[in-house]
Amino acid sequence: MRDKRFWSPYIAGAVLGATLLAAFYISGRGLGASGAITLVTAESTFTIVPEFIGRLKYFAKYITPIAPLINWNIFLLIGLFLGSLASALLTGNFKVLLDKGKTMGVYTRLLTSLTGGILIGFAARLARGCTSGVALTGGAQLALAGWIFVITMFAAGFIVAALLRRLWS
Amino acid sequence: MTAPFEVSEAVSLGLAVVFGLFFGLSLERGGLGNPHKLTGIFYLRDFTVPKVMFTAIVVACIGLYLLSDLHLLDMDRVWIIPTFFWPQLVGGTLFGVGYVISGYCPGTAVVGLASGRIDALVMIFGIGAGSLLFAILFPYLEEFYLSTDMGSPTLPELAGLNHWVIIVPLVAFAGVMFFVMEKYEKKDSAQ
Repeated sequence: MRDKRFWSPYIAGAVLGATLLAAFYISGRGLGASGAITLVTAESTFTIVPEFIGRLKYFAKYITPIAPLINWNIFLLIGLFLGSLASALLTGNFKVLLDKGKTMGVYTRLLTSLTGGILIGFAARLARGCTSGVALTGGAQLALAGWIFVITMFAAGFIVAALLRRLWS
Repeated sequence: MTAPFEVSEAVSLGLAVVFGLFFGLSLERGGLGNPHKLTGIFYLRDFTVPKVMFTAIVVACIGLYLLSDLHLLDMDRVWIIPTFFWPQLVGGTLFGVGYVISGYCPGTAVVGLASGRIDALVMIFGIGAGSLLFAILFPYLEEFYLSTDMGSPTLPELAGLNHWVIIVPLVAFAGVMFFVMEKYEKKDSAQ
C-alpha cells in the first residue's frame, strides 16, 4: 500500500544509492552518521571535563587541538540535517511532536528513546559504524563487515520485536 | 585521471555537505524519519526499510563494480569497511536491539529531528551517551574490540569468485524479496 506522503521506497532507495555511488566515485568513501555524533560528544565533553575525557584512550583520536569540527563526517551530518529539514518543510511533513507507539506513555517513550540510543551509541562504536557507515556502505561494497552487520541487525530486531510486540504495533 | 579524485580540503568538505543533502532528501522522502515506518519491517506491517535499503545497496553496488571494471574508478583507493568478525557480530546484534527499542538508527534519528520529532533528539543524546560509555569502558573492551581483525575483505575476495557471481544472485534475491513484500502488502490491505 503506497503512503501518499512519501516517495515510492524504490525511488528513495535509488536516490540514496546514487548518492552513495557518487561518494564512492568522487571522494572514495561512503556515507556515515554515528562517527560524527561520537566526535561531537568527545569534543563537547572534553570542553566541560577536560581532565577526565582527556584520559580516555578511545577518545584520543577524536580530540584534536585545531578545528576539530572541520571534519568530513561533521559536514556530511550538517548536509543530512539540512537536506532532511528542507525536504520536511517543503513537503509540509514538518511537525513538532513526541512520536511514540500507540500504547506507549510519554515517559516510556522518553525512556525507550534514551536507552535505545545508548545501546546504539555503544554498539556502533563496537561495530565501527552504524546502518549508514557499515550496513549501507559496506553492503554496497560487498564488504564482509557490511553483511555481518545487516544480518545480525535484522535478526536481533525481529527477535526483540517478537518479545516486545506492544512497543510499535 | 581516474576516480576517486584528489581535491582540496575545502572542496572535499563542500562535497560532504552536498552528499549529505541528498542523503537527507532520500531518507526523508522515503519516510525514514518516522519511527513507525522504521520499525514496520520487524512487525511485518511496513516494508519501507528493506525496500529503500536494498534498492540503495543494489544501485551503489552495481555502479561501483561496473565503474571499476570499466577502469573509470580505482577500487584500491576506495576506503573499504574493515572487518572485525566478533565485535561486528556482537555490535550488529546490540544495534538491532537498540533500533527496535528507540525506533531509529543514528542517520534516521537526525532525519526524525529535522522533521520535528523530540523523541529523535532524546535518542541522539542517547547515542552520545552510549559513545561516552564505550570510551569509559574501553580499557575492559579493548582486547575484544581489536580481536578477529580480518583486514578489509569483500565477499567475492573471500569466496575467490568474480564479483558478478555474487552481485547477480544479490540482485535476484532483492527482486524476489520486493515481489514477496508487494504481494504481502496487497493481501494485507485487502483484508
